[in-house]
Amino acid sequence: MTLWGALAGGAVGTIVLTSGLRVAQELGVTRMDVPLLLGTVFTDRRDRASVIGYVIHFVNGLVFALGYYAIFRAVGHAGWLFGAALGFAHACLAGGALLTVLLPAVHPRMGTPWSDAEETPLLEAPGFLLLNYGRRTAIWTLLGHIVYGAIVGGFAAGLS
Amino acid sequence: MERVDGYAPIHEYALIGDGRTVALIARDCSVDWLCLPNVDSPSVFARILDAERGGSFRLEPTARFEAERRYLEGSNVLETTFSTSEGRVRVTDAMTLSDTRRISPMRELVRKVEPLAGTVQLRWAFEPRFGYGRATTRIERRAGRWFAHAGADALVLGLCEVGDGALKNGAVTGELALAPGESALFSLAAASREPAVIPGRDDSERRLERTKRFWPEWAGRLHYDGSWPEAVRRSALALKLLTFAPSAAIVAAPTTSLPEWIGGGRNWDYRFTWLRDASFTLDAFLRLGYHAEAHAFFWWLMHATRLTQPRLQVLYRLDGSADTPERELTGLSGYRGSRPVRIGNGARDQVQLDVYGAVLEAIWVYAKAVGRLDGDTGKEVARIADYVAKHWRDNDNGIWEVRDERADYIQSKGLCWVALDRACALGARGLIPDRSARWRAEADELKAWVDEHGWDDQLQTLVRAPDLREVDASLLTLAVLGYGGERIESTIAAVERDLREGPYVYRYRGDDGLAGEEGAFLTCSFWLADAYARTGRLDDANALMEQLVGLANDVGLYSEEIDPRTGEFLGNFPRL
Repeated sequence: MTLWGALAGGAVGTIVLTSGLRVAQELGVTRMDVPLLLGTVFTDRRDRASVIGYVIHFVNGLVFALGYYAIFRAVGHAGWLFGAALGFAHACLAGGALLTVLLPAVHPRMGTPWSDAEETPLLEAPGFLLLNYGRRTAIWTLLGHIVYGAIVGGFAAGLS
Repeated sequence: MERVDGYAPIHEYALIGDGRTVALIARDCSVDWLCLPNVDSPSVFARILDAERGGSFRLEPTARFEAERRYLEGSNVLETTFSTSEGRVRVTDAMTLSDTRRISPMRELVRKVEPLAGTVQLRWAFEPRFGYGRATTRIERRAGRWFAHAGADALVLGLCEVGDGALKNGAVTGELALAPGESALFSLAAASREPAVIPGRDDSERRLERTKRFWPEWAGRLHYDGSWPEAVRRSALALKLLTFAPSAAIVAAPTTSLPEWIGGGRNWDYRFTWLRDASFTLDAFLRLGYHAEAHAFFWWLMHATRLTQPRLQVLYRLDGSADTPERELTGLSGYRGSRPVRIGNGARDQVQLDVYGAVLEAIWVYAKAVGRLDGDTGKEVARIADYVAKHWRDNDNGIWEVRDERADYIQSKGLCWVALDRACALGARGLIPDRSARWRAEADELKAWVDEHGWDDQLQTLVRAPDLREVDASLLTLAVLGYGGERIESTIAAVERDLREGPYVYRYRGDDGLAGEEGAFLTCSFWLADAYARTGRLDDANALMEQLVGLANDVGLYSEEIDPRTGEFLGNFPRL
């Protein structure tokens, strides 16, 4: 298994994950738009937010790939299947905590269940398991991360 | 104030809130409606819908009393003053805003009691009933406080200088009498799916003072120098309470099932956002100087509609989701027996083409104020305009959400013209992809169709539909939104002739597939005033507005309808 393989997998996996979520948006399955969510941390101009958000999401994908690689090294194993399992855990983390608890807590333009009349947030929070953005958001997010993990695992193992 | 069979008249209610939920308080100081944690959550107090089983939080003198109330200046903090033969006492009610520096309850309602003269004996009763009265509510005493809970929801009753109260028959009750210089405090701290935060008196008092400071600061940002400053300010404050801060959605009203006719079945849940209200809401926020609120609502509008675009749904939940299944609650008897009580709203499944005009108008108003639209939004708007160009010929349920068969409602067609017209204007400014050649051609064909099929020579008015040859007050919106033409002025005259009684304007006189009567929709009266102004009849507009301003209740609020014969408020309250 190789670090460069993991990073390459992170790059490809992020592209696939992001594209998959975009397809889901266009199909009307979800209102989740991760680049927009990330980009609006820095600006309230949607077009700029999307660009910034894509860059951040791509970098995040590489950073998470490093985390996957560390786990692969720790257990001495990589591969599609193990990567997919990690992707499942990754999705649970994203949908259970990262996007639903941590992001609203730090996002300057996102509402939370505690936002009151003093605040005028631009974005509603995703809610538990991302349900606020559509009931099928969770399943698409889960599938996307499983695919991401599988790609990272497969690339890290040298596509063997 | 006299209750009828245990129910307060709707006009006797005042509203407090925190941008997440609201409480309705009657003149006798009973909290008769409160949903937690959000305005569209199940109720914990619903006495307004069932005087016996709905639940409430009562606080009133034991002796015979008179009650006056007011909002603090420029505020949504309510003050009720009881006068009895023993003295006078003031109750200050507020839903407090969160303290950003210390942990606050998820939601908090504070009631502060202060004697003004003499010693007035008061009695109180805390009677929560979670889940629209259907859940099993348990009340127990823990650590010196009363905890009411059901499932994952809890209410903690804090009593400061009130005594301990006693639990009996599902209610915690007590009495208090304060000497001048003393004060007492009730705090209701709510929690849902998290541990309850239990405030001390100092915490609650601090949040109350902060809340009392916030509202006048917010109201002070209002830009208005017209004829009715107090009415406009109160309306802005009410609009702010109807704005759900976590998502910026705006509810049509914070209540469900207040009847359009006492004893009737026209009882609907209004705790959703209707897109047709969008243009009026955005316009109001922008004109009054509340650009942050306008900006936030515009973002909600574009985000909420994303799942269904280019098709726009009639209404959406506050979180932007599109599912609003309607069902009847059998456990509540309804306001003065007006059944059924409904939650959810089946109008979601309807087709109402006028929505497109309202939304495109809102986008036009917003884009003019901001000066730009981002590329993605512009493309979405252009696709919505394309949808209108393709579908304006469809029949629909119309603005009045007729649950009978669909028809070619002329108001719907007219608002489709507005949608196409605004799309052309946006395209001309380069704010959206410009396909105005097609849009203008369709708009012209639409107008020709309306002229041919929607005009009645005998009545000299545009009519409800080609096969419903009667006047409809919703046609006034065509005047309001600049549809234009001499026939609009004739239509206004027909509305005056057939539907107006004093300041009141009925929606229509014909059948709509629902049994029972209804009052006069106040929205129609305001549309008429607006239509007068836009067609140059300024004296008529001013005269009508003076009458309408006078119809508000003692704290400046309106319900959806009024019975012209009695002046009784009807329908959900207060109405956006």
